[in-house]
Amino acid sequence: MDIINLIFNTTLQTLLSIGKIALILIPVLMVIELAKHYQVIEKFTGKMKGFLSFLTLPEEAAFPLLAGIFFGIVLGSALIIDYAREGILKKRDLLLIGIYLSISHSIVEDTFIFAVFGANPAVLIITRTVLAIMITRIAAGLFDHFLRHQTAAATEKDQTVKAVRK
Amino acid sequence: MPAFTEPLIKGFRKSIGLLWLLIKIIVPVSCLVALLDFYGIVDQIAIFFTPAMSLFGLPGEAAISLLLGFLVNIYAAMGAVTAISLTAQQMTILAVIIGICHELPVETMICRYTGLRIPVSIALRLTTAVVAGVLLNLIYTLVQGG
Repeated sequence: MDIINLIFNTTLQTLLSIGKIALILIPVLMVIELAKHYQVIEKFTGKMKGFLSFLTLPEEAAFPLLAGIFFGIVLGSALIIDYAREGILKKRDLLLIGIYLSISHSIVEDTFIFAVFGANPAVLIITRTVLAIMITRIAAGLFDHFLRHQTAAATEKDQTVKAVRK
Repeated sequence: MPAFTEPLIKGFRKSIGLLWLLIKIIVPVSCLVALLDFYGIVDQIAIFFTPAMSLFGLPGEAAISLLLGFLVNIYAAMGAVTAISLTAQQMTILAVIIGICHELPVETMICRYTGLRIPVSIALRLTTAVVAGVLLNLIYTLVQGG
């Protein structure tokens, strides 16, 4: 009976927390659809240009990245899934956003909770943000290097095959 | 019908679809972790990792909080923290580690949809969290020593 109770309670609690996510997710997605409709993204993300170009991400990455940083990885990822389905972002960009968000997400809520228990909020936010930026940049560098290498190798192989055929 | 209702309806439909997807992922995973906790497996793992805590300048009991953070969520971790007394610095170090690396069973599953594979995600977050914890402990020690 205990186990049945445990499963029941866990399921209930989880559904409740998903309900809380819904309270944010539904209005945010509606606002984003509105923003898409009125093409607000171009104006809004202009301010993040420096940040995004350092991470070598396109401007379209601004919304899922911002949503994830401020509202959490679940919401950020939900937007990423949506962007991936519509083919707005490349695989490489999705992966980089995933890396950034896995290290630094929902910095408002998390930091608030930790601060309640006596942690220094400034140290928390700075450490997570700096680490996330550094690691995402390094990953971008490695990823592009690897891709270029792969493309070069493929071209070389292609040329060799052509030469042999001649 | 005004022009702005169409995007609103589209956004609402999309969010319902995504919420259903989240329910399918999160509910089974959290039930599994609750079962592990019920059979005391989480506690046993905590005792095993106790010596490693000195790397972060944390007491052994903090391992339980870290593991609860890694496996369950930051709320569970904070629940375990109330049982032990930590200084503000220790609390900050603990918070940074858990802040970077928490709720792995659920969040790595979600992150998979960005193309980040589960083992890569776990390795990345654990390594980053450990490095951040050790570095912060070093910095705090240096500042106090000087």
